[in-house]
Amino acid sequence: MVDFLIGLFLASLITALFTTRLYRLLLWYSMNSLMLGFLALFIGKELNDTSMLITGIATILIKAVGIPYFFKRMSLKFHFVRQIIPEIKVQYAIILIPAILVFTFYLADPITHMMRGNANYVAISISSLFLSLLLMMEHRNVAPKIIGFLSMENALFLLGITATDGMPMLVELGIFFDLLMAIVVINLLFHKEEASL
Amino acid sequence: MMLTLLLLPALIMFIVSFFKNKKAKFLLPVSSFAILLPIIKLFTLPKPYAILNSYLIADELDTYILLVSSIVGIGVTLALLTLDRHVKVSPRAYSRFYRFFAIFWIGLIFSILANHMGIYWIGLELATLSTVYMIKTNHTPAAHKEAWNYMIVGAIAISLVLFGIILMYASAKPILGEDAMQFDLLLQHAKEIPSPFLFEMGFAIATVGMFVKMGFFPMNLWLANIERASFYPVAALFSGILESAVIIGFFRFSKVAAEVNYTHLFMFVFVYTLLTIFIVSFLIFRAKDFMRLFSLSGIEHMALIALFWVSGGTFAALLHFGAHAFLKPALFLSTGVLESKGKYRIAGALRGYSGKKGTLFWLLVSLFLLAIISLPPSPMFFSELYGFGAMIENAKESDHMLAMIGAVLLLLILLSVIFYRFVSIYQSMKYEGETYSKKVYASELFALVLFALALMALLLPESMAYLRSIV
Repeated sequence: MVDFLIGLFLASLITALFTTRLYRLLLWYSMNSLMLGFLALFIGKELNDTSMLITGIATILIKAVGIPYFFKRMSLKFHFVRQIIPEIKVQYAIILIPAILVFTFYLADPITHMMRGNANYVAISISSLFLSLLLMMEHRNVAPKIIGFLSMENALFLLGITATDGMPMLVELGIFFDLLMAIVVINLLFHKEEASL
Repeated sequence: MMLTLLLLPALIMFIVSFFKNKKAKFLLPVSSFAILLPIIKLFTLPKPYAILNSYLIADELDTYILLVSSIVGIGVTLALLTLDRHVKVSPRAYSRFYRFFAIFWIGLIFSILANHMGIYWIGLELATLSTVYMIKTNHTPAAHKEAWNYMIVGAIAISLVLFGIILMYASAKPILGEDAMQFDLLLQHAKEIPSPFLFEMGFAIATVGMFVKMGFFPMNLWLANIERASFYPVAALFSGILESAVIIGFFRFSKVAAEVNYTHLFMFVFVYTLLTIFIVSFLIFRAKDFMRLFSLSGIEHMALIALFWVSGGTFAALLHFGAHAFLKPALFLSTGVLESKGKYRIAGALRGYSGKKGTLFWLLVSLFLLAIISLPPSPMFFSELYGFGAMIENAKESDHMLAMIGAVLLLLILLSVIFYRFVSIYQSMKYEGETYSKKVYASELFALVLFALALMALLLPESMAYLRSIV
């Protein structure tokens, strides 16, 4: 089940890279976060780790539901451009994405021998990080760049869950708090009410 | 209690930022001075002193960096009093600037005192995010673009740091459990880490994140562009406080990495910093305005600090760090005054200041400009001497003595390029261009005097002895 969820996590991120509509991108981000939340719940249940279970629930509530909803409202309020065409053409992206995946598996190869259990998940986390960076790079508009940044947070979270069997609760809560702060700052950046002095 | 006292000035600043009364801003420098009391108390307490269980611990290094950052914070609050006299800023944006400055300060206090990698990261992220709005206080399209730029690149850098932290934590978790997040325990058990490769990979990723945040290769112009676009106090905060919090993280991570494999650590940092200084020296040579010049020079100095630190020159690195933390904000704050009558005008920038205040201002700026290029008796002159000495000492224990002498010579050539550029700019500021009357205000002058005094205090034998005691 964990393998299945992690596959969906990666698949939703790859699909997001080809998306040309903002709301569809939000949907894929929401799916990505939902898979992450389920992963945390499954692994947390396996390890009998209450803090990871709480993290999983918080991930689903905040990242899979809260942030996409808030982002959609923000896009309506500030009239975001909803057609987001990636700068990298599809034919090149199709070559680039598997290349990133192969490279990260190769990069993580020495690490995977040192990890107990879930070894390939580290490679997937690193590839998710690179794919999120790609998402940020391939768009000129700010909105998909923000989604790329949020996806990068998801990749970090995945690494935290899989490589370390869960980070300390304090750190995870801190990351959530920072994420919310990031949203507040992004909201402020969009505000144009102070544009005229 | 100690934590409350340390956070109190920032909390007061946060609350006062909501006041509508224009005179309320005068409370802020007064309250910022209050942070010195708990810090002085910290100096007298036995170290390490637990401020918040094992999460926040004050040792000699923390206390020193906290003191330096607080003095910079005080200087910036003083200079902020006259921000609206030099630049166009709305009262609302002004209040918000203070509000985010307070959040920034809180984040940095946590980062500096953190004995926990997670708390260190959370503090740094809080400070990074709060800076975004401070950049945006300047309502120009360039500042708006750079605020987004900072948000995105800053987020990538900080994410790399977290990525590295997670890998380092994963490497030590089998022996330390959840305590693998604590710097002190990690240092004690560094040699027992079961997967050193994992730790080193984490360290390398986190270090790249921290170096990117400080504007090292390949992001050399990133910080310079942001500091150019934002108001001058932002640049002062970056160079004096934010970089302090980043570099303390590097100090702590590298101490552990040195225990794991010193050769790998040294080679990695040595190549990275040398490459950075190589590129930055030529960028400085081509710099055409104050902000970019000082910003690029900041990158050069941070690279030197990292290099001295990993070479075993702890004292040199800390002395250099302290001197840079006082000099660079002083120069950035001076830039606000120098540029208030026409941006980008270097020729004659130091002319036209009359009266006692004016004379003192140009004299101080001249001294700061010459001190930043390590002209004696600047503390940077001594720190560079000790730093290069440490590099040679380090090479004596290896088989790479000739290579190290070559590297030191290359560094000296690059530093000469920077020296030449600064002297040329100083001469242009003082002896070229037209003279017209300019004004300097008491509060910003007071900030500069504060930095000058702090700089002199660094050269006191007691200060030197304290820095030598930090290992």
